Amino acid sequence: MSAKPQPGKDNFTRNLVIGVVLGVVLIMLVPTIISKQTKLAAKIPASVSAERGYGIVFNEELTGVPVIDIYEDFQCPSCARFEGTQGQYLDSIIEDKKATVVFHTLSFLGPESVIAANAAACSADEGKFLALHKMLYQTQPRENSGAWTNEALVVAGESVGIKSKEYEKCVNNGTYADWVGNVQASAAQSDVNSTPTVFINGKELDRNAYYDPALFIAAVERG
Amino acid sequence: MREFKLWFGLASRLTLGGVLLVAGYLKYDEIDKSQMAVRAYEMLPIALANFIGMVLPFAEIGMGLLLILGAATRITAALGALLMVVFVIGISQAWARGLSIDCGCFGGGGQVEPGTANYITPLLRDTGLLALGIYLFRYPQSKFSLDQSSQKLNLEKRDMK
Repeated sequence: MSAKPQPGKDNFTRNLVIGVVLGVVLIMLVPTIISKQTKLAAKIPASVSAERGYGIVFNEELTGVPVIDIYEDFQCPSCARFEGTQGQYLDSIIEDKKATVVFHTLSFLGPESVIAANAAACSADEGKFLALHKMLYQTQPRENSGAWTNEALVVAGESVGIKSKEYEKCVNNGTYADWVGNVQASAAQSDVNSTPTVFINGKELDRNAYYDPALFIAAVERG
Repeated sequence: MREFKLWFGLASRLTLGGVLLVAGYLKYDEIDKSQMAVRAYEMLPIALANFIGMVLPFAEIGMGLLLILGAATRITAALGALLMVVFVIGISQAWARGLSIDCGCFGGGGQVEPGTANYITPLLRDTGLLALGIYLFRYPQSKFSLDQSSQKLNLEKRDMK
């Protein structure tokens, strides 16, 4: 580094430094911009709808029922609290076909959110999304602590009864990693600024209702 | 006095540049969060907010490096001061409108639980940095600056008058 230019020296060093700094910043920026584009060729797991922000949809076929969009990140502690409070009710309305529920598995908290969302997508192919979803929140480790590896997520899948080799391959290959990026990009376009965020029929749910079963049920039934 | 000004210029460069560099460094590989932080200010159309959330960390890194090295000090300080004005406006309007957001200045950001938002610290910090940016725009000469050679020429020209 030439931090101490000699007196009388021309501007060459200075201009070179300016050029290098601007060049390096641009070289870092361009791949970032490209990586944030929605990838239309991304492989998409079962029951996902691009029109619904690439979320994993339950009861897509129903009409005249509330549509509940849930934006969450598997590593977000508040999401674990939300799942602990409202998860059973959500499972029951999915089971009883009383609502269309869309899970948007975001990944802004870091790399372990990406592999967890990928594993959740793999479990959707096996029809076990809700079971793995619950399991991951129940055993949620500290953010990016290294506890969630592909191996750990395969084991988590086994623990909720996923036995297929396909699931293991899907987790290890990060088959749905591009789809995970699309879910995140779509949430950015929908102005989701924290997790969990819940929309009922497109209207953002009042913050007080997230961790209160009675308020939440009332909001869903109001539609 | 002139000597003191040169040292003060260096301190201003390192402070403003250092803060910008750190702020950019902490955000550049967490672009999703950075975009969320900008959106949460609710000032811009979503697409534009997302674009700024993506570009801002890199701009901060570039400006920080240039200020620390003392290259193009004057224009970089002006851009830095302008950025601080934008931040002060953004934080103030969030405060005035009663939004509950994290400033997202050094990563993080987005909505927070009502009542836990802290607007005073970032406002004071950005106002201080704004002052340093204005000072450097007015007096860009400083110790250990790559701009020195051109400044020297200018000074010589001034001396000849």
